[in-house]
Parts: sequence; C-alpha cells; structure tokens
Amino acid sequence: MTAAIPTIALVGNPNAGKSSLFNALTGARQKIANYPGVTVERKAGHASFADGRPMSLVDLPGSYSLTPASPDEAVTRDVLLGRQAGERQPDALVVVVDAANLDNHLCFALELIALGRPTVVALNMLDLATRDGLTLDPAILSRELGVPVVPTVAVRKRGLADLLAAVDGAILSHQTQASAPSAPPPSDAALHQRARAIARAATVSETPVRRWTGRVDAIVLHPVAGFLILLALMFVMFQGVYAWSEAPIGWIEGGIAALQGAVDAALPDGFLRGLIIEGILGGVGSVIVFLPQILILFLFILLLEATGYMTRAAFLMDGIMAKVGLSGRGFIPLLSSFACAVPGIMATRAIPDAKDRLTTILIAPLMTCSARLPVYTLIIGAFIPNSNVGGSPVGLQGLVLFGLYLSGIVGALVVALVLRRTVAKGTAAGFMMEMPRYQWPRLRDVAIALWQRAWIFLRRAGTIIFVTTIALWLLLSYPTVPTDSSESQVDYSVAGRIASGLEVVVAPIGFNHDIALALIPAMAAREVAVSALATANAIEAGDDEEAMAQSLSERLQGRWSIATALAFLAWFVFAPQCISTIAITKRETNGWKWPLFMVGYLFALAYAAAGITYWTAVAFGLG
Amino acid sequence: MNPRLDSAPLGVAVRISRIDWDAMSQDEGRRLREFGLMEGIEVTPLHRGSLFSRDPLALSVGRMQVIIRARQAAMIEVAPTAP
Repeated sequence: MTAAIPTIALVGNPNAGKSSLFNALTGARQKIANYPGVTVERKAGHASFADGRPMSLVDLPGSYSLTPASPDEAVTRDVLLGRQAGERQPDALVVVVDAANLDNHLCFALELIALGRPTVVALNMLDLATRDGLTLDPAILSRELGVPVVPTVAVRKRGLADLLAAVDGAILSHQTQASAPSAPPPSDAALHQRARAIARAATVSETPVRRWTGRVDAIVLHPVAGFLILLALMFVMFQGVYAWSEAPIGWIEGGIAALQGAVDAALPDGFLRGLIIEGILGGVGSVIVFLPQILILFLFILLLEATGYMTRAAFLMDGIMAKVGLSGRGFIPLLSSFACAVPGIMATRAIPDAKDRLTTILIAPLMTCSARLPVYTLIIGAFIPNSNVGGSPVGLQGLVLFGLYLSGIVGALVVALVLRRTVAKGTAAGFMMEMPRYQWPRLRDVAIALWQRAWIFLRRAGTIIFVTTIALWLLLSYPTVPTDSSESQVDYSVAGRIASGLEVVVAPIGFNHDIALALIPAMAAREVAVSALATANAIEAGDDEEAMAQSLSERLQGRWSIATALAFLAWFVFAPQCISTIAITKRETNGWKWPLFMVGYLFALAYAAAGITYWTAVAFGLG
Repeated sequence: MNPRLDSAPLGVAVRISRIDWDAMSQDEGRRLREFGLMEGIEVTPLHRGSLFSRDPLALSVGRMQVIIRARQAAMIEVAPTAP
C-alpha cells in the first residue's frame, strides 16, 4: 500500500467521450503539458473520492489498440505499460467505451483488461445509445468482461460518483489478490469475435440505427450540395471573424488608450513614461486587439469539431487534398492555421502518415493567420481605395484581402505538390478515419477549450511580444540624436543603423528604410511589424505637433509608393516571421532540420513574390 | 473477378468475402481490422467522394461509420449478403 496519491488513467478509443468524462471529473482543475521528449499533450487533473481522498487523473490519447499507429498512441501504450519516462504506471484504469459502439470499442477494452491492472469500464454516452434505439445490460457486460461496468453520461455528469467508487473498490480488491498472469495476446480476429459476442450478449434490444444521422449526412456529404454547405460555413466563419470582432476590438483599444492617458497624467515626461506608453502599452496593445478575432475563429472550429461536422469536412476535402498528396486529415490543422499556425501544427499529430504530416506542417504557415491581419488591414486601409469594383457591390479593399488569402492557399497547394514529389516523397497518403455521430456541443467543454487557447495567446503576448517591443523601443530611442544633427532619431538609433544594413538586401524588391526597420522585430511575430511602424513613427514625430496629428496610415501614404505597399503585402503572404511557429515546428519534427528548411523556402518565396509584385507594379506606373 | 468494395453500389449491404492483406501496408491492415473490417463482416457503402473525386468512401460497419480511400476499398472483395 503506497501512501502516494493514486493515479488513474482514462483510456479508450477516439470518439468514446473520454475528454468529456475527464472534464466532468476534474472540472477546470487541469494541467496541460507535454510528455518529455515527445510532442504529445499530457492532460492531467485532480479529483477526489467520496470520502475526500485525492486522486490524480491522466487523460491518455485516444487509441484503437496497444499497437500504436501514431506518436499519440505510442504514448498511451507506454504509459499503460509503465514505460513512459517521467510517468508512473497508473494505479487503475478507467476504460471509456461508447455504449453505442460496443462491437468495436470492446476490442481495445479486452486488450486493456488483459493487462491485469485494476480496471473499471465506463459505459459512456448511454443516453445517445438509448436515442439510437439500443438497450444494454451493464450487469451482463460486467460478468462477461470480469471487471466492474459503470454506466455514465459524462456530459450530464451522470454516474460519476459510482464510477469513482468502483475505481476505489478495484484498487482495494487488486491489492488483496495477485493479478492473474496474462495469457498470450489473442489474434485480432479472435479479439473481434469475442468483442462482438460480448456486445451481442449485453444487448437487450436493438432497432436499426442512425436514421437521423443518415438523413443529415445524405445532404451534408452530398458530392455537390455538401461542398456548397462547407463553402457557406467557411464564408460565415470568416465573415463572423471580422464582423463580430469589431465591437470588442473597439473596447480593447479604448481600454488601452485610457490606460495610456492615465499613465501620461500620472508620470513625469521621461524615460519611464515613454517606455510604458509607447513601448509596453502601444506594442503589446497592438497585439492584444486580435484576441476577439482569434477567439471567434477558435469558437467556430471547436463547435465544428464538437458537433462531429469536422470529420465530414475532412471527408469532403479529402478528394482535393489527395490531388496534392495530402489527406482529408490535414484539413483540420490547415483550417486551424487560419487562426494561428501554432495550434494548427500541433493538430497535425492526428495524421498517422509521417510524410503527409510533415508536408502539412511545412505548408501550415502559408494559411493566412490572424497575426497577418493587422499588417494587411493597415496597408490595405492606407493604399487601396475604398471603392467598389466597376460599379459592382464588391469592395476593392475586400477583394484585395480575399486575394491575399487565396494566394496563401494556392501557394500552399503548389508547395505541397512539390514537397510530396521531392523532400517529402512517400506512398500516397492514406485516409482512414472514424466518422463520429452528430452531437450537440457541450458548452462547458467548448468553454474550457476556448479558455485554454485564449490563455496560450495571452501568454505569448505577455512574453515574446512584450520583450521584443521593449527591446525595439530601446534600440530606437538610443543613442539620442544630437540636437545639431540633421538626421532623424530613428535613422540615428541603433535599430535605424541595423535597418540601413538590411535595406541594401531588400531595396531591389522595393522595400524602404521603414520596412527594413519593421522586418527585424517582426521576426518575433508578424503583427509586431505594425507596432514597430507605429513606434518608429511616434519616436520620429517626437514633439512635432503636426506630425503627431497624422495617423500612421496617412504618414505611410506620404512615404511609400503603391508598388512598395503591394510588395510588402506579397512579402507577408509567405514570410515565416513568427518565432512561435518556428519553435513549434522544431518541437514537432524533433530537430532543426525542418524548421530551417521551412524558414529558408518561405523567405525565398517571400522575396520572389515581393519582387515580382514590385517590378510588375512599377512597370504599370505605380512606382 | 469478384466485385470489389470500391465499385459496390451505395446503400446496399454487402458481405466482405476476402481482403488482400498482402497488398496493403501493415499499418493499413491493422487499422482496417481495428475498424472491424474483416472477412465475413457485413458493410454498407454510404457516401463516395465529392465534386470531381471518387475518393474517399464512407461505409457503415456495425453501428460505426468509417472513411477509407478507394485504393483500400479496391483490396476488399465483397459478395451479396445471404438472403
């Protein structure tokens, strides 16, 4: 008997409702980290037995068997066998099975029970099984499996107390009797046969299934109509990201301006005031304003996933993605990358084929992430006339934005095609996926996931972006330009001199000193380009009242040609300017080779795209 | 040659008579078995492809629906279900 807090592992097939059960048991008391050395998420949390004794819970990645097919599944096996570094072998297992899918889920359950650890089966989503016309007898199931079976409906928190009591009992009785030596593992076919036999025995009555799901799928998966529905959903999603975020963005901007005003009034003019107002509040504030857009986009993605639609979207997109050597599985990571490539690249873990996954990681940064929006918005607002195209209701500014999104997507498809024929050559990617039933999304699960995404973003804004903005502000402010010099403060500063060096390289593609200056700190994150332009602008304007009164876009109009502005936009379609993306790519590919390759090819594309745009524009007289 | 799952009509239940395990990779074969696709099992092809593509194929196996590619479906021989 150990005095340590017992560790209980939740384990089961994908789509068994494991995460909901984990959320129901632990509430918000969760910690997400990574297993050391691998890039698989470790979800852990705490709960307590009825008498108050604590336990720790681990939510293991969903698997089909103990023979792993992906890095996720390998972790599940290693933890269960006590082979995972830094992780204790669990004291008890809660095997989560979908009540409506026993034939299949019992296979893995039988494998797990054969491990001989204290085990309880959670017969989950019993309500959905009942809705599907299935009546089960948990007592028969328990007798056949030889372990306790507890019916649960995780999303309604039903059966949780019984489940924990059963776990407690299983641990206790396990200590009093030696576990039976496990028999040699049966073959797949034998396992399936036994699973089906047990499922049949436990089934009291059954009516034909999925009438409702089938009727919805007939429309949603229709070769033409389904595709149009998917396009419409995407359209609504992106429309929502812009339209619904306007008000909250206004509040955040107002809040930051109010803070700046308060600091301005409270502190005397000097180093500290400048640092706080221009450096910290201005710089970090210009990034936090994207929080509403990111949250809206993630809300859509989480809802589509929770309802089961995302797999349908993957089905519809698989044909197209197969043509460039990818699979429908890649659609979900790529869609997430429109919010941010970091969670997108993390989501590629679900892709079993290594080459397919690598290609998806390498093209994920080409999806127009929300960090590009501030850059696009600023430049489009300043240089593209706010008029309609030839009397139609289509706005020119919107059209340019759409074109930038489209360039990213087309670029990604072409790059994928090339990569799959060169560095990521392999057999045609497979696409095998279980299609979950439709479900009502659970507010609570969506809220927890959304909060986790928001927190990751805010932490990023609070660290990387915070530090780079302050560093840039210091480099721009020092050394102070002598009063008798004709040079501007920005040109005279350390940052200005570095930019002059870089300008030599980027001058051929139409980039001026302003841009060279903004590109360096924007390596940390693309959106910093905007705050860098703003900071440099504020410092340069100094006490000049007239210059201060001009907005950033007005000042840019006076200093950049349209050709330069267009080249700048083209640059940002491709440029890999995001430390977080590079870092996550290193982590996910276990080394520097692929992140360096990614940075190299994207910069080359960015340079070429900006150059071609600039030279073409100049040829048309826009220089 | 026996009919294969990739060309089986949609909405009609068929029985898997043979799977060419040797033609597919070990991982593919294992995932098929994990999905419950084995000799003797009844499946119903439900949806096939979108727009210009015949890939992928969605089918029901027991109470589950799974998606596979036409390439894998072509390795699965099917026969009409016993009346």
